[in-house]
Amino acid sequence: MKNGENYNSSRRSFVKGIAASLLLVPFLQFCTDKIAVLMIRLSGTKHLLGHRLWIKDFPEITSHIQTSYLIVGGGISGLSAARQLTKKGISDFILVELEDHLGGNSSNGENQYSKYPLGAHYLPLPNFQDKELLHFLEEEKIILGYDTKGLPVFDELQLTFAPDERLFYKNSWQEGVVPKEGNTAAEDAELKTFFKQMDFYRSAKGEDGKYLFDIPLALSSADEITRALDQITMKEWFERNNFKSEPLFNYIDYCCKDDFGLGIEYVSAWAGIHYFAGRKQDSSSDKKDSVLTWPEGNARLATHLKKYTKDKVLKNHLVFDLKIENNKVIAKTFDDHKKRTVAIIADKVIMATPQFVNQYIIKDRKEFTKEFHYTPWLLATLVVSDLADNFSFPLSWDNIIYGSKGLGYVYDQHQSVSQLQTKKVITYYYSFSGPDLKKTRKEIYKKKTEYWKQMVFDDLKMAHPDIESVTEEMNVFVLGHGMISPVPGFIFGEAKKQASKNIEKLIYFAHTDLSGISIFEEAFHHGINIVNQILDDTTLDS
Amino acid sequence: MGKKFIKFEFLLLFAVFIIATCGLVYELVAGTLASYLLGDSVKQFSFIIGVYLFSMGIGSFFSKFFNKNLLNTFVEIEILVGLIGGLSSVILFLLFESVGSFQLILYLLVFVTGFLVGLEIPLLMNILKDKVEFKDLVSNVFTFDYIGALLASILFPLILVPKLGIMGTSLFFGMINISIAIVLCFLLKSELKRSYFLKVKAIFSFLLLLTVFIFSENILSYSEGKLYGENIIYTHSTPYQRIVLTHNKSDYRLYLNNNLQFSSADEYRYHEALVHPVMSIAKNVSHVLVLGGGDGLAVREILKYKNVKTVTLVDLDQGMTKLFETNKVLTDLNGNSLNNPKVTVINTDAYIWAKSCKVKFDVAIIDFPDPSNYSLGKLYSLNFYQTVQRILQPDAAVVIQTTSPYFAPKSFWCINKTVMAVFPQVDAYHAYVPSFGEWGFTIAINGFNTTFNTVNRQASGLKFYNYQFDRYNYFTKDMISNEIEINRLDNQILVRYFDEEW
Repeated sequence: MKNGENYNSSRRSFVKGIAASLLLVPFLQFCTDKIAVLMIRLSGTKHLLGHRLWIKDFPEITSHIQTSYLIVGGGISGLSAARQLTKKGISDFILVELEDHLGGNSSNGENQYSKYPLGAHYLPLPNFQDKELLHFLEEEKIILGYDTKGLPVFDELQLTFAPDERLFYKNSWQEGVVPKEGNTAAEDAELKTFFKQMDFYRSAKGEDGKYLFDIPLALSSADEITRALDQITMKEWFERNNFKSEPLFNYIDYCCKDDFGLGIEYVSAWAGIHYFAGRKQDSSSDKKDSVLTWPEGNARLATHLKKYTKDKVLKNHLVFDLKIENNKVIAKTFDDHKKRTVAIIADKVIMATPQFVNQYIIKDRKEFTKEFHYTPWLLATLVVSDLADNFSFPLSWDNIIYGSKGLGYVYDQHQSVSQLQTKKVITYYYSFSGPDLKKTRKEIYKKKTEYWKQMVFDDLKMAHPDIESVTEEMNVFVLGHGMISPVPGFIFGEAKKQASKNIEKLIYFAHTDLSGISIFEEAFHHGINIVNQILDDTTLDS
Repeated sequence: MGKKFIKFEFLLLFAVFIIATCGLVYELVAGTLASYLLGDSVKQFSFIIGVYLFSMGIGSFFSKFFNKNLLNTFVEIEILVGLIGGLSSVILFLLFESVGSFQLILYLLVFVTGFLVGLEIPLLMNILKDKVEFKDLVSNVFTFDYIGALLASILFPLILVPKLGIMGTSLFFGMINISIAIVLCFLLKSELKRSYFLKVKAIFSFLLLLTVFIFSENILSYSEGKLYGENIIYTHSTPYQRIVLTHNKSDYRLYLNNNLQFSSADEYRYHEALVHPVMSIAKNVSHVLVLGGGDGLAVREILKYKNVKTVTLVDLDQGMTKLFETNKVLTDLNGNSLNNPKVTVINTDAYIWAKSCKVKFDVAIIDFPDPSNYSLGKLYSLNFYQTVQRILQPDAAVVIQTTSPYFAPKSFWCINKTVMAVFPQVDAYHAYVPSFGEWGFTIAINGFNTTFNTVNRQASGLKFYNYQFDRYNYFTKDMISNEIEINRLDNQILVRYFDEEW
């Protein structure tokens, strides 16, 4: 019959021909396209220098500095302490910072198109009772005045522009973060019940007359019933309330990760509810859940605070040992630029550093520090030539992809008043939620740039299939200890109490991890409160 | 016999491969065109793929009724697929504007193409079933079918659409389809009945497609012309917008992104109403600012006042101002205003420019596109008007193009209310412009030393405005809307109103 061999060879060469022409396609494409090289960079906090605290191979002391107050750590709590000292008329203080810039988690980067956040990126409208914060915002012209009802008037340019949020859900973008279009009636009903419950918690007060959930967290009620919520995870709470729907579960999971780094399965239910109920939404009559934001994120707020530390900052300095001698504190400090050690002799020390660092600087702190868990974070800032999607809802400030592993992305130029951007800059957020954060952290440090690049692309592809081909630049920023994680039992636990106690009224502790949740308001108040406490203690003593 | 047969089978399999490629290309063309013309790409693509696959199934079903002259039928279908598929995009393009039931025609074409492609595979298998072992037959036919599909789906977005355009792609594949039919006619003429007749049909169809292919550019501009209903005399795409200028009898019309900007027949009404009230009310008119208005028509009106010393025009689009500085038709229209030595043209973002501007103006004329998206909405925000106020002299007058109070009363009064929150004296007025309909403006004074009814100066030779402001600021009930919010950057409520209304 047929000459099989002959036939097959001709078919083979035919298929080969097709294969060859297919192989040529990308090359043809390559010729027509402008050659776009993806610039990619990986950076993070100075964990390598920080890790030298384990072995402490620092040189001997070669010089001495005297000061009344030493602030260790230039994040928001340290900066806020500097502001409060200044307000109290104290100018003899020094602030020491390990990094080459101030701001901590409120830092930023910048490329030729835009500034972008390297951490926290917004501040919800403050509670009306939080006069300290309102006052600060007024000082910095974020609040421009007060209206006839006595409510603050926020600067239009610093409130998030509309449209502020969109969600990629069921293959199209919809307005807002809560899944709305495409839910079943049962799912909608659950969402409604949930928000009703949160409304209740927002205004509910305990037997002691305090809000059950307040900001700063320390003002919250001591009510035993609500504190029991800190013993279970948010997921257990979800189940105990007979919630079942997937959109609600995903939404809560997103919110928990967004504020605490930990997902619904690992975060304390008290913290989870605090996310919704802590903010009273009472300082604006129409923009209740609005937030303040800037292209550089909360680095803007850090910049406002920095002015109080002018000429009083030692950057690239690492305090590696703290000892009390003759009623003074001696802080051995390594100058990473000059590679030498300075002894700072201070009357009082404010440790605005996280407890995982403090345990290596001050003795006898390892035991309770074990209870402090920190979630790693990853931020990737992308410069894209275009950000086409299916145009179901326009690009917003916060863009969340339902069911994605990350937390979506922020459009960094959203607060620009200009009509068009030649390139768009977006910052993608990812928190490494999980049961064993230490293990996760170790794995993160092993990963290469290429791995993160692919992870970011794969996640964004759900909503932007062509993201890889439109990205021109990517800056990946990894934070090993991104933020304190309120695991069950931590917020009202013993470890937090132990860690907050001052040492002989000489060394005081003010970092946000002592709140159990990492938000600007907590840091801001820690700074103020610690200075007030030191001054109170001093007056009482004298 | 063996060799000859291999050739026969190979040819037909090659035909399968081409059919599959072409079939998928037609399907992709229909999907792309539908999402291009109708929007909502997910829906369009999904419906078209569904209908196509379904009609292939119907085709396969009906293939069993063909029993005689299978090879002839096969070639005929090949020609028909090429003709219908090839011409489908041309038909759709031309009919889009004039046919009410466009979707019906779209799906009909998709159905017919799918039906014919669906007929072919079973037909081919019938032709070959006695000559090849069934196992090999099925495997070979389907292999080539799917390879063809892969090739089409890769080539389509990467090479075909960028290089040939949608219309070109479908015509090109129509021709490939028919050339296969021609090749089959010649090579298998012994197997075919009345092959001469088939040859003529195939060659004629091929030439038809070729002709359309050559003239496809003209067809495209014809269909764009139909969209505008006038003769297009100039088109230009800038980074910001597509500018189209049309000419019909003595009327020139300018479209930006398909929105009418002016008609030369009645633009004097719009521009006189825009410019002369503020120019007569303002305390001084030495330094005039125009934001937007890159056509220079407002500037033409401003220059009618002799005591104007400078006019600063800020327009984002250099392509637009350049056109109105150089094109003969257009400089005749704007009286060559943009080349007047008193006039400075600045091509930049007006908001950003105003924020950093250090000088102050006596009059500001704000003539931006309607607030149809969130970017444009910023140019109507409270903060924007506060920014403008900072660069105005005391008692300066401002006018703002405020869309139509008749078609969009909420938008109109929203802008008016926003301006009211900034300036001490604010009013609104409107004028009838035939090509636009009832059009409105918001006017404001940055002080109390002049009023809207004051006429500080007049220009001569106006055709429309008579300096009696109180004749224009009365609004009938159907042009009024209450319960309106102020437009701020953080709510952009105006864009929502506008979206509701237009």
